Amino acid sequence: MSGQDIWDKLQNVDRRVFYWILFIGLTVPFLTPIGLPISVTPSTQAYFDGLKTIEKGEVVVLSINSGVSAWGDCLPAMVTSVHKVYDQGGKLIVWSIGYNDVDITWRKIQEKLPDVFSKWKEGENYVYFGYCPPQETNVALLATNIRAVYTQDVRGVKTGDIPMMKDINGANKIKFVLSSDTGDAQMYYIRQWKNGQVNYEKTGKPPLIAEMGIAMNKSGDMVYFLSGDEFGLVGGSRGAAELEALTGYKGDATTTMDSISVSHVLLVLAIILANIAMVATRGQKK
Amino acid sequence: MIENIAVAYPTDPLAIAGLWTALFLMLAIYSYPLWKENPVYRFAEHIFVATALAIGIVVTLTSLKNTAITPLMGGNYLMIVPILLGFCMYFLLIPKYRWGSRYPIAILVGSSLGLGIASNPLPSIVSQIISTVTPPKAGTAIWAMFPGSPTGDWFSFAFVAIGCVCATMYFLLTYEHTGPIKPVTIAGRYFIMLALGAYFGNTVLFRFSMLAERGAYILKVLGLIPL
Repeated sequence: MSGQDIWDKLQNVDRRVFYWILFIGLTVPFLTPIGLPISVTPSTQAYFDGLKTIEKGEVVVLSINSGVSAWGDCLPAMVTSVHKVYDQGGKLIVWSIGYNDVDITWRKIQEKLPDVFSKWKEGENYVYFGYCPPQETNVALLATNIRAVYTQDVRGVKTGDIPMMKDINGANKIKFVLSSDTGDAQMYYIRQWKNGQVNYEKTGKPPLIAEMGIAMNKSGDMVYFLSGDEFGLVGGSRGAAELEALTGYKGDATTTMDSISVSHVLLVLAIILANIAMVATRGQKK
Repeated sequence: MIENIAVAYPTDPLAIAGLWTALFLMLAIYSYPLWKENPVYRFAEHIFVATALAIGIVVTLTSLKNTAITPLMGGNYLMIVPILLGFCMYFLLIPKYRWGSRYPIAILVGSSLGLGIASNPLPSIVSQIISTVTPPKAGTAIWAMFPGSPTGDWFSFAFVAIGCVCATMYFLLTYEHTGPIKPVTIAGRYFIMLALGAYFGNTVLFRFSMLAERGAYILKVLGLIPL
C-alpha cells in the first residue's frame, strides 16, 4: 500500500468512525480525571466578585432563559450561583423568559442543591414563578409591576400573599439579575432594567445584570461586559468551571472540563491530519 | 476546601426507571448519527416532538390562565382585550378572515419596536462606541491578554480600535476598494475572519459541552460516576 493510498483512505473515513472516537474520548476523562488546571478569566472573576457583594436579605433574580438542551453549558453556573446567593444570605426570585421547560431545569437545580433547599423556605427565601412569554414587553413590565406579569407563583399562591414578595413589586427592590441565556434575553434586561428608569433603592442606580451564557455566544456577549452593561459574564461550561473553582463547589463543570479538553485535542488532531492528507493528495488529484 | 455537590443515586424505583428511560431515548436519538436512520430513532424522535409539544401547550395555557383568565374572573375586565387579540391570531388559519390577525401582529410588532427604538441605542451603540474609544487608564500594562490578567490593556485597546476601523471600511461599498484604502479593507476582511473564527471556536466548545454532558449522563445512569 503506498503512502498516497493511506492519505486517500484517511480523507474518506466514514464520519461515524470519528463520531465514535469522539464520543468515547469524551466519556473516558469522566472515569479517569486528568485534573487539568483551570485559570480564571476576568469576566468570571467579575461575576464572582459581584456575587460576593450580596448582603443578607438582598434580593437577586435568576432568569432562566435557557432550556434543558443547554444544561451542559448553563446548568452548572446556575447551580453554583444559587449556592453562592444562599451562602451570602441573599433571597432569590426565579422566573423564565420564554423557555417552557423551565420547570424541569428548576427542579434539577433543586435536586443538585439538597443542602440549600432543605434549609431555604419557599416563599420566604426564594420564589419560583416559572414561565412567562418571551416578549421584551414582559421584561419591561417586570421592572415596574411584577404582579402584572405573575399574578401567582407556580404553587398557585397569589404574588401579593407570598411573604417574601409583600414589599417587592419591581426592580427597585432587586440588586442583580443573573440571566442564564442561550439567546438574547439578557439584552432585554440590559435595555429595560440596566438602562431603564427604575433604580435599586439601596444604590440609587438601576439593578445590575450578569450573564451565564452558552459558550457559543461569549464572543458576542463580551462586548456588553467590556462596556459595563454586564457586571460579569460566565461563558459556558468553561466559565462555570472557573466559577466553581472560585466558589469552591466542585460541580459538573469541573468534571466536564477534562472531557472537553480531550475532545478539543482530538478535534485539533483531526484538523491537522485532514490538512496533511489534503496537501499530500493535492498533486494526485490534479 | 472543595465541596463536592454531587447527588446520591435515587432509590425510588420510579426515579430509576426515569433515568433508564431517558438513557434509552437518548441512545435511540444518537443511533442516527452513530449508525443510521432506524425505527428506534424515529420512535424516540416522535416521542420527543410530542412531549415537547405537550409541555408547550400546558405551560402556555397555564401562563394564559394566570396572566389573563384569573384576573378577568377577578373583575379586571380589561383583560378581555388581550385575550380577544390572542384569539385573532388564529384567523391566520382562515384565509377569508386572515386580515383579523393583522391587528394583534401590528400591536406586537409596534410595542416591541417602540421599546427597542427607545432603549436600544444606549447599550448597543453609545456604550459600545464609548467602550471602544476610551483608552485604558494610565499605568495599564501594554500586554495583558493572558487569562487571569485584567482587561483593558493597551494592546487590546489598539487591536479593537484598528480592527473596528478596518472592518467598518470593508463594508463601505459605495466606492471601489482600490488605492490607499485597499490594504485597509483587506485587513478588515482578516479582522472579520478572526472574529468569525472566535465565534466558530466557541460554537464548537458549546456543542462539545452538550455532548460531554450526555456522555457523563450515560456514566451517571450506569452508576460509574456520581449523579
